Order: sequence, then C-alpha cells, then structure tokens
Amino acid sequence: MRTDGATAEPTGRGDVLVVDHLVRRFGDLTAVDGVSFRIAAGETYGLLGPNGAGKTTIISMVAGLIAPDEGTVTVAGEQMGRTAVAPKRHIGLVPQDLAVYPELTARENLVLFGRLQGMTGPQLTARVAEVTELIGLTGRAKDPTKEYSGGMKRRLNIGIGLLHRPTLLILDEPTVGVDPQSRNQILESVERLSVEGMAVLYTTHYMEEAERLCDRIGIIDSGVLQAEGTRDELVRLTGAVDHIRLSGTGDTHAAAEALRALPSVSQVDVDRRELRLTVGDAPSAVAQVVTRATDAGMSLADVEITRPDLESVFLHLTGKALRD
Amino acid sequence: MRPVLAIVTAELRRFLRDRSNLFFVFIFPLVLVLVIGAQFGSGATAGKVAVAGESGAMVAALTTQLESDGLVVTSGSREDVLEQVSRGRAAVAVLVPDGAGAAFAAGRPVTLEVVPGSASNALAVQQRVRGAVDVLQLDQAQLAALTGRGVAAPAARAAVDAARDQVTGPATRVENVDALAREFQGVGQFDVGAASQLLLFTFLTSLAGSATLIQARRHGVIARTMAAPVSSAQVLLGQAGGRLVIALAQGIYIVVATSVLFGVDWGNLWLTGLVLLVFGAVSAGLAMVLGSLVDNEGAAGGLGVGLGLVLAGLGGGMVPLEVFSDTLRGVAHVTPHAWAYEAFAEIQRRDGTLVDVLPQLGVLTAMAVAALAVGAWALRRSLARAM
Repeated sequence: MRTDGATAEPTGRGDVLVVDHLVRRFGDLTAVDGVSFRIAAGETYGLLGPNGAGKTTIISMVAGLIAPDEGTVTVAGEQMGRTAVAPKRHIGLVPQDLAVYPELTARENLVLFGRLQGMTGPQLTARVAEVTELIGLTGRAKDPTKEYSGGMKRRLNIGIGLLHRPTLLILDEPTVGVDPQSRNQILESVERLSVEGMAVLYTTHYMEEAERLCDRIGIIDSGVLQAEGTRDELVRLTGAVDHIRLSGTGDTHAAAEALRALPSVSQVDVDRRELRLTVGDAPSAVAQVVTRATDAGMSLADVEITRPDLESVFLHLTGKALRD
Repeated sequence: MRPVLAIVTAELRRFLRDRSNLFFVFIFPLVLVLVIGAQFGSGATAGKVAVAGESGAMVAALTTQLESDGLVVTSGSREDVLEQVSRGRAAVAVLVPDGAGAAFAAGRPVTLEVVPGSASNALAVQQRVRGAVDVLQLDQAQLAALTGRGVAAPAARAAVDAARDQVTGPATRVENVDALAREFQGVGQFDVGAASQLLLFTFLTSLAGSATLIQARRHGVIARTMAAPVSSAQVLLGQAGGRLVIALAQGIYIVVATSVLFGVDWGNLWLTGLVLLVFGAVSAGLAMVLGSLVDNEGAAGGLGVGLGLVLAGLGGGMVPLEVFSDTLRGVAHVTPHAWAYEAFAEIQRRDGTLVDVLPQLGVLTAMAVAALAVGAWALRRSLARAM
C-alpha cells in the first residue's frame, strides 16, 4: 500500500500495465498529476473517485487516445505512444459512452471492431458468435442497436471490448445508467474475466463495485492518486474498525463474558438486550461470535455487521464525500 | 488497408439504413437537373419559334420555310406564344393578324409582328425569321410575275419550285461573335446544368458526412476505433472513404441518368469519372475537417449546406463560370468546384483529353491531400477536446 505519488512497485506477478508518473494538463488545469500504478495478470484494479477526478483522462492515456505531457504507459512490455499501434493490440477498451453505431446491428458492430483488431474470416465469425452468446444477445444480434435497452447496449459495449481476447481490459464506468439486473450481469462478467487471468482496469465512482470487484483500489481525487492498496489496507488508513451488534433475549452478561475470551474480539459493550463487539475482521469472526453467544445462553433475534467502507476512506483522505 | 475497408463498409451501411438519404442523393438531383434544364438551360430556346394567328397557306408556307432552316416551330394562341417567349420557352414569337393569309394570297402587303425574347440567341432567331419571310415574299413576287404574264397558277407554282431547285443562291450563316454564346455553341440543353448539379450535389452529399462523423465522435465510436491498433490516418481514410464511395455512386448515377433521360453528352466517361473521383476526395476531405472541428451535428449540417451552396455558387455550380467577370473567375478558383467545372467543360465541350485536364486534376488532388491531412490532425485533437 502507498499513500503518495511514488513510483509503483512491481506487483511481482508479471505486470500487464505499468503507469509511471503520468501528467496531463488542459490549459491551466492539471487533470492528472503524477499518477503511477501497476496491474498484474489476473488482477482487477479499481480507480475510485468522483466525477471529474481524472479517471477517464488516465484511461485515455493508457489506451493511447491522448498523449501524456509527462510520464509513460507500458502495456505488456510495449510502450504506448500517440502513434503506437502494437501496444493497442493488448487492450480492450470499454468506454463510458455506449460506443456502438446505433444504426448497425450488434453483429455488424462486433464484426467492425473485430476487423479493426485484425480478426478475419472464420476466426472472426466464430468469435463474434461466441461473444454474442456470452453477452446474451444471440436472439437480437440482427436488430439495429438503437432498438436495444440500455442494459443490452452496455452488454454489447463490453462484448466489443472482449472480442479480441485482450490482455488488459479497460472498463470506464461500465454500469452508469444500467438497471440493477444488467448491472449485476456486468459485475459477474468482470469477476469471471479476472478469474480467467485477464488484467482489468476498472473505473467507478460506486464504492460498492470497487469493493466487490477490485483486488486493489486506487483512490483518485483532483488528478492525484491519493492512496492505493487492497480494501482492507485502505480501510486501515482511517483507523476505523469492524463492529458486530447482537440483540436478543437471555443472559447477555454471560454471553459478553464468553465473547471477551475470543481472540478476534477486542471489546464488548453491553446495553440491556444488546451487545456491541469490536472485532478485527467481522465477516470471518461472525460465525464464531454467534455460536459462542448462543452457547452462553443468549437467544439471538438480530445480528448486524458494521464495517468501515471506502466512503470513509475517501472522506479520510480527501476531506470530502465520494459523491460530492 | 483492411481497417480502412472495414470502416468504409460500416459507413456505407449506416448511410443505406437511412431511407431519406436515398431521396436526396438519387432523386432530388435529377429533379433539379430537369427543372433547371427545362427553364434556364442555355439550349432551351435555341431556334424555337412560336407562331400565333389564323392557319392557312401563308402560315403553312412560313412554317415549312422556318423548319427547313432548322428552327422548331410551335403554334398557339396569341397569349400562349407571348407567354412562351416571356418565360424563355421560345426565342421569338410571330403574330399573324387576322386576314393576313387572304391579303398575302391576293398580293397585298401584310405586316407580321415579331416579338423577340430575352435569350441570347433571340436576335439570331429573329433574323432567321426575317429571312424566311423574305423567301416567302420572293416566292409570292415570282408567282405574281408569272401569272401576270398569263401563266396558269399551277404551272407558275411548278416553275418557281423548279427554279428554286436549280439555283443555288448565296448561303448565309449567322455567326454569334459573343464569347459566351460561342462557348456554349452546340452544347445540349441539359449539359451545363447537369455538370453543375453534379458538382453541387456530390459536394453537399459529402459534406453531410461531417454530421455522421460528429455522431460517431459523440457516440464514442471514434475514440474506441482509435483505441484499436489502427492509425488516425486510417480512421480518417475510412470515414472519408465512405463519403467518397457515396459521392461516386451519386455522381455515376447522375451521369448515367442524365445521359439516358436528358441526352446529356458527358464526353469521355473515363475522364469524367476521374474528375468526379478527385473532386469527391476533396469534398470528403473537407467533410472530415468540418466533422472534426465542429462538435454539434446541427451546426455542422447548417455549415455544410451553407458552405456547399456558397462554394457551388462561387465555383460555377449554379451559374456558369463563363458569365463571371475575370476578377470573380480568379476568386472562384479557390473553390474545388471551379477546377472541376473547368475540367468538365474541357471534356464535354472540347473533347478534352487527360493531358488537357491534368492541371485541374493536379490542383484537385493537392486540395484533397491537404484536406485529409488537416482532417486527420483535427480528428486527433478532437479526442483531447472531448476530455
């Protein structure tokens, strides 16, 4: 974990993406200021920050769409430049916009971008059919995409990014404006890709998505990478801890005594029929806590886990709420 | 080359999916060629005489004489023929007063009223009408002389006809020394209008591509395309290529349709196609510049139509360049239209060869390369502008 703009250390697992001290200015505005991070194969890295934090500008530089004023981007060992073509072969870009031609069908869009990636003939045909199936659009593949729902368009948007089996998949806020069902499908797809060994760069301003998907998270604000690390590492920055609240009937004092003996529990407060426990890692401790309280004679009516989240991390690091 | 072809294919598909495009590209230009050719074509009134008044031997003889001189004669009421002249559908009207036929037959003086129109050839046609009347007058005088000497009327008629066949009189040729009239001498009614409309419409159709490029940029498709392993030049060539293919298809369609429907003579078709290709490339290149510099489709559409009409007007796409003053003709050559117009004029009117149109092709090629280079640069910059 790091909390400054220093050069990112190698992940030790074969870095697919190395971003080193990126700077990009637009006139007097420094949109990205010395950002460095690395992503390993099979790792999902999240850039978490509010709108205007610089996430899309970083992605545009990583994808070779705009040139950085300073710093370098290396994808699968090849340095990205504005006119570079080779490193782009490793990248699948899923932009925030629904980057498809609305007049064309899903199949025609997929064929177009497949050809742009150098795919041809039976290989392209087979892969288009495979991706169409994967994104659940087989039955509508010959309809113009302007007739699709928002969720279907989003799935196609992702399908195009996956078409050529990229080493690095870049997803820029892929769930914005998506219904809950489609959103869940998208998140499940990203989880599968990571398992299959694809490196994923995922930008979002939804902390729940970052927590669910990302192995490591970079907190970005005003163009500066404020901190990066795993969720737990980032949470520790705040000094906040997990809590488990137990409520019910029976001998709450006996239960409190029994729970204090557990190594994972650092503090137990009793308030009539309710116990409030301070623990190291609530999800891993909860089963043991419930068993011990029940064995001690407490009849539980409710169990509630409270964990500090990335929202509090962001607040701690920047002094403002994530959705400001 | 494959990425370029892939983008061209996608652009053509997008174009064909919008049915309204088919009307503006394939039907509207022909309607305009027809309307402009019929109303204002330089050859529309060539040698056309409208005759009004009582029918009879004199009018029949006059009509025969005019037609034998290569003029086209129509007849109608006085109001009809005057309207034909005022609207430019006839060069000259001839008004025959009541009783003129009988007076003429009786050898008495007859006065025919000749009303010239405003067409450039009206005076020449008027002169030919006078010549035809003189012939009738001479015939009548000869017949009167013979019958006065006691020759029977049929024999006198036969003698006059035989004499005319045996004698070859001095031929007169009306030559228009006006440079403008000489330039368009022998040019078909629709020829100039068709070439002008070809330039106007292919340019407008190409500039409409600026809006589709802006749409693609707005949808993020251009950014996604440029994130693929292709160069910005390839992306631009693909986008421009789509518009070029559409402009070429439209141009070829106009050439074929005007040839078949209106008898337009395009001269060497290969050379015509070559000029069309290079002019289309300039148009497509300018569409890419416009589509990269402007971020709003509505604004680009308005600018495109405005630019298309102004450049066409300045470059001979509406009024023939030959009508312009020397100064204005010089200014006109900042437009690709003027160079293409001159190339078409060379091919259509003077049977020009490739060598004859090389200067025009060279300038148009340079314009196309410059437009595409600026377009590629502007397209790349538009991505940063979108951040």
